[in-house]
Amino acid sequence: MNSSAKKTISLIALIVGIAAMAVALYLDFTGSQNAYRGGILIVGAVLVLFGIYYYPTKKHRKIINFIFLFPLVFAFGVTVLVPFICGIFYSLTDWDGVKMTQFVGLGNYIKMFQSKDYLYSFVITFIFTVINMISVNIVAFALALLCTSRVKGRNFYRAAFFVPNLIGGIVLGYVWQFIFNKVFTSVIAGSVSMLTDPNQALAAILIVSTWQYAGYIMMIYVTGLQGVPKDVLEASSVDGANAWTTLRRIKMPMIANTFTVCIFLTLVNSFKQYDLNLALTNGAPSRILAGKAVQSTELLALNIVNTAISKNQYALGQTKAVVFFIILAIVSLTQVSISKKKEVEM
Amino acid sequence: MKKKLLSAVLAGVMVMGTLAGCGSSSATETEKETKADTTEAAAQDDTAAAEDTAAGDTAAAEDAAESTEAAGEEAAPTSEPIRFMNTKIEIDEPLKAFAKKYQEQTGQEVVIESLGGGVDVNGQLKNYYAAGNMPDIFAYAADSYQSFKDWLAPLDGESWIADTDYAFTADDGTVVGMPFAVEGIGVTYNKDILDKAGIDPATLTTIDAYRAAFEKLDGMKDELGLQAVCSVAAESGQMNWSTGNHMMAVYIAQGQDRSDKSLIEMEQKGEIDKERMSQFADWVKLLFDYADQNVLISGTYDDQLALWAQGKTAFITQGNWIDPSLDTYNATFACGIAPAAFSAEETTGILADAPAVWGIYKDSDKIDACKKFLEALATTEEGQQALVIDCGMVSPFKSCKLEPTTPLAASMIPYIKDGNTYAWDWLMQPEGIAQNATGAVFELYAKDQLDKEGFVDMMESTIADYAAQQ
Repeated sequence: MNSSAKKTISLIALIVGIAAMAVALYLDFTGSQNAYRGGILIVGAVLVLFGIYYYPTKKHRKIINFIFLFPLVFAFGVTVLVPFICGIFYSLTDWDGVKMTQFVGLGNYIKMFQSKDYLYSFVITFIFTVINMISVNIVAFALALLCTSRVKGRNFYRAAFFVPNLIGGIVLGYVWQFIFNKVFTSVIAGSVSMLTDPNQALAAILIVSTWQYAGYIMMIYVTGLQGVPKDVLEASSVDGANAWTTLRRIKMPMIANTFTVCIFLTLVNSFKQYDLNLALTNGAPSRILAGKAVQSTELLALNIVNTAISKNQYALGQTKAVVFFIILAIVSLTQVSISKKKEVEM
Repeated sequence: MKKKLLSAVLAGVMVMGTLAGCGSSSATETEKETKADTTEAAAQDDTAAAEDTAAGDTAAAEDAAESTEAAGEEAAPTSEPIRFMNTKIEIDEPLKAFAKKYQEQTGQEVVIESLGGGVDVNGQLKNYYAAGNMPDIFAYAADSYQSFKDWLAPLDGESWIADTDYAFTADDGTVVGMPFAVEGIGVTYNKDILDKAGIDPATLTTIDAYRAAFEKLDGMKDELGLQAVCSVAAESGQMNWSTGNHMMAVYIAQGQDRSDKSLIEMEQKGEIDKERMSQFADWVKLLFDYADQNVLISGTYDDQLALWAQGKTAFITQGNWIDPSLDTYNATFACGIAPAAFSAEETTGILADAPAVWGIYKDSDKIDACKKFLEALATTEEGQQALVIDCGMVSPFKSCKLEPTTPLAASMIPYIKDGNTYAWDWLMQPEGIAQNATGAVFELYAKDQLDKEGFVDMMESTIADYAAQQ
């Protein structure tokens, strides 16, 4: 077949394909109930792809790469990209979950930063994230050292520490709520539940969150520690390094990339804390701040859900979610770029 | 070349597969598939609802899924089935039984889709709407009316409207919702304990009567085996609906004429009646002071209920919806609902109203069939039997002669017969105010971090702030 015949065929395929897709989309947008519109769309898409593939230029076969990537890209687009763009769009409107009547520009963003509950949630989430990140990593690293040492039954410990992570946050929240409210108050007779004092309630969330997540992070540290080459450790012991020096000067620099990953994971996870927060306190207890009653443990994610669902202000909730995303992206990217500098290339 | 062609063909098939996968649900929308989707969603939601009854709920929802799927496959005898969205999972079975009977008699099929407790019902309805998959009949409450007001078909002229005080009317006065149950809020008492202490519940019509009764019971605690006088829970995270809605309801409507909306209108504007709020503060304080302190500041609904149902307290600040739970605790004592008489002035009625109503979707193509089905539920003997006896609810219809068998529902009947009830205006509070604002104030008051003046002032500023935010 010569190239001009190829050209004609592929051009015909392209044109027919585009036309078919246009017809199908037109039918869909005009609300037609024609059952064939899905089929027409697919046939059109296949014809277009065939046309591009068959068109005689140098790089036309590259379309194969795209076709193989397509299922993934399509799923990513439908579940992440499109909702994300819709979200940003809705944050600029007065959307109520069903319909929007007008654009309000940056009105929602201004309103958001004026609402004290959001600012409070912001501060409390920041505090929570920092403390939780530190505590989870310290506990996880300590457990990892234990599980890679020569202690008896280390495999059992490893499994045991990991188990809390297998339980869902909601269940865990209710279990621990029972422990704080019933068990602790009867073990220490006459005491009141930790969950009734604003500061202690935050500490309670920290305890449970660390308990839940440390085992998972421990696993990553264990993998890192096991990857430290034996010859380097041997050399250091020949040079007379004690356990502390080995840890500080050899192991920790060698697994710096593990630290990057773990700190990143805990940072993002603490910032997004929702299920535990919902089940354990759901924002309670309340505290008086500048003469106002505020929910003392309402973290950002919970605040966003409450704004959208319970206050029925979907656009404002969406706005908060957009800002939430931006902050999270900035913080975590900064952290990764700083940590990356500390890593050692083998 | 051949290899490449093969790979191109394979890739093409893959693309087609992907598109076909999405295409079938978005492009070629068949009735059956969307139905299966919705029931699936309901079943998932049920599983997520972490409640004691979760297991039961899921089982029920699975039943629902099975039955709807089966219904989708069968050819409907007359026309398409009516889709009925029920939001009270506990009445799922009686409703289905009635729907079946109804189909046998009229040939009209009705598919009941139930959503379980803890599900965000309004959000679910919005999802249905966005997906173009609205049920023909759905339940909504006055508090979510603003979201749904554009979707409701007028029901004016239906025969049951004259038969009830609780029909839901739109802003312009047309009836848009049919009530199916009446629920009551007051102070629920354990009659056996009161009898032993020599207190007549009928005298509990002023705050002074309550105070005297509480003092007397407090003095006889050991004798009666009481842990505390009342069972109250005011923790703001999980119990804000009890304080911020049901207790607040007393301030908003107790002693007011049903048509008098002045207090709720003030609240919507962000104002309060300070004098009344101050009396209300005394009432709340009285309940808090005589409550079990652990349950008061950290208890959940289950803790609160267990305390009362096990006979460890004489009173509980919950309404007649605790009836079905009494069996769980083997509670066999006599009980009833007394007025939440918060002031020195005598108030002899309880707060009773339809917590939710059934409305018809205005773009449904089966509005007349839906109206007939609702009418059958409201006026026929079988319908009343299903609602009152099988579902254990209090009928909102005057012509209904059936008496509920559960104790608290039965104790509401005299109030309703005498017209001695106050409206549930609390449903019209600014959306989410209990959870996001007033619940916290109640908790601070329960923890003694606020005194009476502090409570009144903070209520005033909190409500003002919240209304300004809306």
